[in-house]
Amino acid sequence: MTITAKNRHTEAHEPHWVEWVTGIVSALLVFLMIAWIAKEAWMEDGAPPEFSIEITGRGAAADGYRVEFDIANRATTTAAAVVVRGEIVDGGEVAEDAEVTFDYVPAESKSSGALLFSEDPGVREVRIRTIGYIDP
Amino acid sequence: MTKAGRSMGRRHRSRHFLIGLGRGAAGAMIFGIPMLMTMELWHLGFYIGRSRLLLLLLVNIPLLVLLAHRIGFEQTFTWREAFRDTTIAYAIAIVISAVVLFLLGNITAEMPFSEIIGKIAMQAVPASIGALLGRSQLGAHRDGDEEEDDKAEKKGDHDIVPNEMSTSYGRELFLMGVGALFLSLNVAPTEEIILISYKMTPLHALALILLSIAIMHGFVYAVAFKGTHELSEETPWWHALFRFTLPGYMVAVLISIYVLWTFQRLDDAALTQVLMSVIVLSFPGAIGAAAARLIL
Repeated sequence: MTITAKNRHTEAHEPHWVEWVTGIVSALLVFLMIAWIAKEAWMEDGAPPEFSIEITGRGAAADGYRVEFDIANRATTTAAAVVVRGEIVDGGEVAEDAEVTFDYVPAESKSSGALLFSEDPGVREVRIRTIGYIDP
Repeated sequence: MTKAGRSMGRRHRSRHFLIGLGRGAAGAMIFGIPMLMTMELWHLGFYIGRSRLLLLLLVNIPLLVLLAHRIGFEQTFTWREAFRDTTIAYAIAIVISAVVLFLLGNITAEMPFSEIIGKIAMQAVPASIGALLGRSQLGAHRDGDEEEDDKAEKKGDHDIVPNEMSTSYGRELFLMGVGALFLSLNVAPTEEIILISYKMTPLHALALILLSIAIMHGFVYAVAFKGTHELSEETPWWHALFRFTLPGYMVAVLISIYVLWTFQRLDDAALTQVLMSVIVLSFPGAIGAAAARLIL
């Protein structure tokens, strides 16, 4: 409890027990947060980003054909400006390609996006891979 | 009272009310302009999830009512008056946001209606806090000490002497929350918060947590600003750290999580990444929380 007198605030000497409970819970949470980050600092290995891409859906779009995918970064390093290219492969030849850039793919996280082709790939193989990134 | 006297009284009252509106508008501008000129907030106006925007708008109402009750446009005493002040402040904020966004060429007649509404609604939240604070902080004290004394006398039953006012613990935490929310809303939508959290290593984050807590504590207890809180001599310094500063930091952290979630900055991110962004945002949040304890 705080006493305000003539614009000066003095904290009460014998506070209510609620204040101590809140204080202890807060201290515990702050400690947990610090412990978690410290663990991360300990584990950090500085390995470069590792991407894996998984196609999650496909279907007709207004002006072509949409292939949706998730891109995951397993490493503890975040990548920025990640360029993803998708190709429709027809008998070893690239029939069409499309490209998209992710602003960020955070460490140990997943982002999702979609590539738009002008034609339906049908039974042909759709190949999606990352072709580059920068450090944030 | 004569007829002339009555009409003069009415004129005086309406003048008083207009001055109040003007202060509210000034407050909305001072607090709202940085956000009205932030690109990310314009974009948020149309891409923010409508359910999250709705929640933010609804959460803002009780927050304003409590704030109005605490600091008041015109020395608010009853909840009804607090509610009235809230409505006026929110309305001022909506009008100011709409006018400024229009002047800056950010809303035009060709835009879809939902985009216009989204942009205004987004901006009205911080501006409404500004409008409330503006009316109380920009010169409501001109009525002088008499009224202050009146207020102190009318206040609560647990007062020790008429001139002393006890701020309850919950209210203290609430004020910290408002301060943290205000500064968080200012910076959370910018891409920099996310970018900073990606650039920082966990060691940077650890240092930032400790610095945030130290600044919060120092602001309120060590550096002697006006309104600085004091500890009585026999109270050890760590009492205040546990009872006020750490809970205050936790309030800033919770507000940061809520704001980042509202602005869709946490979706799909791993726990560590979430925590890093929250720590970054809690830094300004902590300063806001400490400042609110001093100013409000």
